[in-house]
Amino acid sequence: MNAFLEALINGVGQGAVYALIAVSFVIIYRATSVLNFAQPALMIIGTFITSVFVIDRGFPFWLAVVLSMVIVAAFSMGIERVALRPMVGRDTYSAAIVTVGLFIALLVLAFRLYAANPRSVGDPWGLNVICLGGTPVEGFVGGCEGGLTIYQNSVARTVIALIVIAALGIWLAKSKLGLAMRATSLDQETAMAQGIPVGRMFSIAWGISGALVALAGVLLASSGGVVQASDALFALVALPAIIIGGLDSLKGAVLGGLIVGIAMALTKAFQPIALPWLGNGFSNVVPYLIMLIILLIRPYGLFGTKEVQRV
Amino acid sequence: MNLNKTQTRSDRLTGRSTHLNFESSKGKVARNVSRGRGKLYTSYATNQAFLNTAPKKWWTLGFVVLTALAPFLVPLDFTYLLTLALIYAIGGIGLNLLSGYAGQISLGHAFFLGLGAYTAAVFGGKPGTVTWGFELDLAIVLPLAAIIPGIIGYLVAPLATRVRGLYLAVLTLGLLIFGEHMFKIMVPVTGGEGMGRGVAQRTLFGVDLNATYAIGPVIIKPEISFYLITFLIFAVLGVAARNIARSRVGRSFAAVRDRDLAAEVMGVNLMRTKTFAFAISSAYAGVAGALLSMLIGRISPEQWNLFMSVDFLAVVVIGGIATISGTILGAAFVVLLPRFLELLTEYIPFISVSSGGLINVFQLQTIVFGILIVIFITLEPRGLYGIWIRIRNYFTAWPFSY
Amino acid sequence: MTLRRRSRTALAALAIALLPLTACTQVDGGDDPAPSPPPSDSGDSGATELVTGQGVTEEACPDAINPDNGCIYLGVLSDLTEGPFAALAVPITDAQGDFWRLVNERGGLNGYDIDIDKNTRDTKYIADEHAAQYNQISGNIAAIAQTLGTVNTESVLDDMIAKSLVAVPTTWWSGFAFDANDGGIVMESGYSYCTEAIVGLDWFADNHGKPASVQAVGYPGDYGGDSAEGVKRWAEVNGAELKEYVPTAPNQVAGNQDAVVSKVAAANPDVVVLGIGPAETAEIIGKLAAGGFTGRFMGALPTWNPALLDSPAAGAITGLYNHMSPYQNWDGDSKGIADMKEALAGELPTNGGYIIGWAIGYPMKAALEKALENNDISPEGIASVVDGLVASYEGMAPDQKYGGDPQANAIQSVYVGQPNAEVELGMETIAQAYVGTTFDQTDYSAACVASN
Repeated sequence: MNAFLEALINGVGQGAVYALIAVSFVIIYRATSVLNFAQPALMIIGTFITSVFVIDRGFPFWLAVVLSMVIVAAFSMGIERVALRPMVGRDTYSAAIVTVGLFIALLVLAFRLYAANPRSVGDPWGLNVICLGGTPVEGFVGGCEGGLTIYQNSVARTVIALIVIAALGIWLAKSKLGLAMRATSLDQETAMAQGIPVGRMFSIAWGISGALVALAGVLLASSGGVVQASDALFALVALPAIIIGGLDSLKGAVLGGLIVGIAMALTKAFQPIALPWLGNGFSNVVPYLIMLIILLIRPYGLFGTKEVQRV
Repeated sequence: MNLNKTQTRSDRLTGRSTHLNFESSKGKVARNVSRGRGKLYTSYATNQAFLNTAPKKWWTLGFVVLTALAPFLVPLDFTYLLTLALIYAIGGIGLNLLSGYAGQISLGHAFFLGLGAYTAAVFGGKPGTVTWGFELDLAIVLPLAAIIPGIIGYLVAPLATRVRGLYLAVLTLGLLIFGEHMFKIMVPVTGGEGMGRGVAQRTLFGVDLNATYAIGPVIIKPEISFYLITFLIFAVLGVAARNIARSRVGRSFAAVRDRDLAAEVMGVNLMRTKTFAFAISSAYAGVAGALLSMLIGRISPEQWNLFMSVDFLAVVVIGGIATISGTILGAAFVVLLPRFLELLTEYIPFISVSSGGLINVFQLQTIVFGILIVIFITLEPRGLYGIWIRIRNYFTAWPFSY
Repeated sequence: MTLRRRSRTALAALAIALLPLTACTQVDGGDDPAPSPPPSDSGDSGATELVTGQGVTEEACPDAINPDNGCIYLGVLSDLTEGPFAALAVPITDAQGDFWRLVNERGGLNGYDIDIDKNTRDTKYIADEHAAQYNQISGNIAAIAQTLGTVNTESVLDDMIAKSLVAVPTTWWSGFAFDANDGGIVMESGYSYCTEAIVGLDWFADNHGKPASVQAVGYPGDYGGDSAEGVKRWAEVNGAELKEYVPTAPNQVAGNQDAVVSKVAAANPDVVVLGIGPAETAEIIGKLAAGGFTGRFMGALPTWNPALLDSPAAGAITGLYNHMSPYQNWDGDSKGIADMKEALAGELPTNGGYIIGWAIGYPMKAALEKALENNDISPEGIASVVDGLVASYEGMAPDQKYGGDPQANAIQSVYVGQPNAEVELGMETIAQAYVGTTFDQTDYSAACVASN
């Protein structure tokens, strides 16, 4: 039972990171109908910036996180302005390949920045655990004997990700700018006719998305280990999450991320022991299996908008 | 003309309707009449012909001759790249049929390449300590490498026909991930992660292609004979694709891409069209995978990944969506550009192979490659094919080009 | 109608085109260019004239240090931008550049400078890219100073054997110790991962008490798989309980290592041998320690990176982990290490990959020196000296003997390291060239993990 609960809580923590990445994809998709494959590279660059500020420069962790979110957001807005603005009105296919080109270039940049070494972000949680009903052990790292072992980072990741996403949701729902953004994602031309500066809305969407994915990168790294440039690819796990939730739904992205995180964590904890014949690394397939089942029932995901078709 | 009678129904859709067919004059116009006038089509048959304009005929002929002779003109290591470009063209044409013509975006293309590669390796390779190998002739192996992926494509297509657009893209990505997992655990087929396995032997119709042959004064080295075989397969499959594209099937692909609901209303069977598109595209991918594996010499389960799928997407988009000739240009671009960048970067000062400086030469090359993709697609929506059309129109309209 | 006629014409044309094929004849596969004339005089006059082949020129290298010397071109095929091993391969390649620069600064080899920059290529750790780059450089080099990855190397191995291109691999797969796998042209450096695990466990038994149970965690195949096979052989010889091997994948693929953590925690072995990457090593050790795991860890050569000492798992790593290396660490006292530090001129390399890159220069240097001694530095000449060659690592590792009986000649000495933040590059050597007793009781007559 403890093992199950531990895996579940780990999964929620991991899922919260997926949710954040998924939301960052969805924000861009809603505003500009682009599936941004450059997101993974931006994420890992965000981690790097935080790491440099904290480890090399000795900044406080939170300040570094905010700085890195701002920098990546600005960078993301620049990318939109230069590379994606000319793609407005073009098919999603070509726009996706443009972001792939950016991904190739940015990933090399990330490898250059990391310069062959993994990095940690110096988060306050590390490998600290909360010991429920067990006896804390004084070891090399704070351990836990018996009872329920909960990593502080699981809790911290979940809380931070959900607060940020909730704040974003409220902002989109209540503020004037949020309303303008929602209008833009609903219909660009009508929005323009109402006097909404659609181009600026695109910029803001990419900026928010960049900030979110940088935060996701930091949370990814704050799992008690280290990250390296190649871990960027990890962000692609968010793709089945956004499909499960529905491509254009924030709510769906959060739910999809959590489902994927929990499902993968439970698979990792029990499949190698209970169902070893499924093979090593089966957990990678699980999100896609869930996605397949959901798509067979709901072709637009759990909360996706069904496309209205006219002949 | 009993042919016409039996084919009346299909004739209407293939543009050879009896009412509009100037069969008596075969669409030919007397020379004295046509002199000084624009070259206009006088029948649907010529409009829809395989090579519907005279320049196209000459360009095609020139291309065929040049590519057939290429390996004798360039250094041997360049032959490798040309072979790779042809293989990318075959796989790219397959993906273009599915994604360009039929509008079904797929990120799972690499999976079908892998299927083709392993089909070829199992049926045509040597048995290893743990891997299977039946050492069959390529004459059997290559068709199998098309048929088996084709069948698998046919079987998974019904799942994919339910969803559209980016949903489909991620669904096919799921197929890729699932396939990669299967490749990793099916050790007798793939040799397992980290080790991989050997590939099909180069024996075609009993002829050992690893030997050097001489036809008269021409020496054909193993690399060249493999290139020529790849070229032959490429030519056959390219012509076949062009024929599919301009036939009834091709037009039903386009109808489904442009508005599938409308297509269905007009009587196009959606399910059958999409399923066929998947099957044919997978078969092309299978052949490309088999050839690719034989070119490389050793394959491992990890290599049939998202990056390879994206490479093929890039071939299609850079070349031009829904054009066969564009795909060939796209394949050449994606495969050959890194080599040209390498030649260029030799002339850039302060950039070296060591990692000490700001950036090393390989990083620069890769970054430039990525940025060039961005520039190409943002500046020319129709890809390399679009650039070609612009050049052509310039000269067609000359001296009134603007 | 027209279509039909056209297809018939096309068929006829095809038949005509294929006609000459029936007239073709097989010719001898050999396309060896005649050895180019040797340089007229190369400093010291040998009794016989020097035979040179491809990749050797009388002209000086580009930007030569010794403009009067000829030039020997060596190739490097490595993962230099964004492949999974770039973190290690980049410093390895840097070190190789510095190694040969130092050789050149000291006068070169018998009237020749060595150039590797011109034929260094990025393979991105993709087999088709590796093959493409290999094809590009294989006609311009005398030998290959570095080839990364087992699958990649094997994809072009037949051609390397045909061209007699001697190569030093940056993979420690056991298969390259056997001529059946590499035709005797791949000069593996140091021990194999398989040997490493066996000897490392001997050291563990000597220093931490004989373990009752052992377990291997690793990437499947040439690296972790090879290491796991070594663990299995050690357990068989020493009667320890072998817990089930845990195959895993890098974090970029697997997301995290929770599956490994749960499996190792359930098996609860006394010692775990790791054949994975540094980030994964930190995560597994940290999480297992936090979960109350009390066993220890032995990490293979690529598991270490000094940045792990900044990670939250640093405490657990310092307390529970030992690193194994075929070469001396940064704190080594040999001439090789001293030369390396001289080449670096007081700078610290980014990580231990630099030491690896430096060390693997020695076997190639030994082969070139021997070939020059024999007055034949054509690829065939270099290949012919490999069998029976003894390469000195200038004290960075015991001398390595190539060819002969792989079991008798296998390098068995392991440098065991203990993470220590006070030491430069974070790794303090606690056992120099340790040799155990188990390896000689195992059968090392074929690759531990077979290539299929």
